[in-house]
Amino acid sequence: MELVKEQELADKIKRTFPNASVKVQRQKRVIVELPNDLVHPFLSYSKETLGFQHLSHISCVDWLEEKQFELVFIILNYETMITVIAKTRIDREKPEFPTLLGFWPQVETYEREIREMYGVNFIGNDDTRDLILEDWDNIPPMRRDFDTVKYSRETFFAREGREDAKDVRETISEHSGEEIPDLAKIYSVRNS
Amino acid sequence: MEMDLSLDRQSREILATIKNFARKHSLWVVAYGTGCGAIEVPPTMTSRYDAERFGIRGAATPRQADVLLITGYLAVKTLKRVIRTYEQMQDPKYVIGFGSCTINGGMYWDSYNTIKLLDMYLPVDVFINGCMPRPEAVISGFIKLQQLIKEGKAEGAKKYKENLEWYRANQKKIIKNWRMPEYNW
Repeated sequence: MELVKEQELADKIKRTFPNASVKVQRQKRVIVELPNDLVHPFLSYSKETLGFQHLSHISCVDWLEEKQFELVFIILNYETMITVIAKTRIDREKPEFPTLLGFWPQVETYEREIREMYGVNFIGNDDTRDLILEDWDNIPPMRRDFDTVKYSRETFFAREGREDAKDVRETISEHSGEEIPDLAKIYSVRNS
Repeated sequence: MEMDLSLDRQSREILATIKNFARKHSLWVVAYGTGCGAIEVPPTMTSRYDAERFGIRGAATPRQADVLLITGYLAVKTLKRVIRTYEQMQDPKYVIGFGSCTINGGMYWDSYNTIKLLDMYLPVDVFINGCMPRPEAVISGFIKLQQLIKEGKAEGAKKYKENLEWYRANQKKIIKNWRMPEYNW
């Protein structure tokens, strides 16, 4: 499959934003990595000039080892149906980013969700109400240093008798005489 | 039930049998889907499995309903609403825990936001095993509940009233900001 349209778009972006690293990932998908201060100009340029009118999603990735958060903006062009994924890295210690409310009003929900789940503060988006969680007083749950198993064990009751998390396949096969298939044997406790 | 005290033992038993017979054949389920298991309720109620032949049908509000179906996982946020719904329901009322999530957490055993044991927060009369239980299993759970009602053993609501403090303590352990009305059944 030839990637003519994608390559054209990538060249155009590269010419306009020399600091960005542009990569054609596959058909109809272009990945752009940007410094922080170029995100707003890039999204504005994409929306007004390149025709990327649709914001599909804003997401966040926790790069714990590198002490960074990566914000991912996914935009779509309805005419060419090409998706552009714009990524930028922000500091994990002081996670702040200017809001995109001026471009798309619907980003409010995404930004509130990221604030709740990762603790990234979007400057200019002043809605601090809870979105999904209620009365959450721990560190944001989608951060990688939040230990969800430990929290779950401390907070909720567990059914007695399943503390060892034993694989029940063996018990079942002992009772019924049924063979465990080879593909399931790798999960078996006794074989490991 | 106060009226029963004036009767002798035999009459009370006869009256209870008649009451339980009536209750058993009109289980109205409050229309409240809490998790993914709610998707099994429409096929159970509609023409193929036709739960209405057992007297099981939907009710629009908690005050009209007898059965609270907890269909699947319960987030802490949803648990709050479920407790409010349960406390608004009039006697007689029963709770059915539906799917593995209500029994031991199921696939959400390590989630930060879903409870693992439903019976620590609400009195469960019948658990239906499975992820998800098919409509046949749902109906068999209802039939089990009907048997319990017939034998006079489905006393979850009574248990809840008697052990209210214990249930409240468990509920308040995870619902940190307790802003709930107190219902005086």
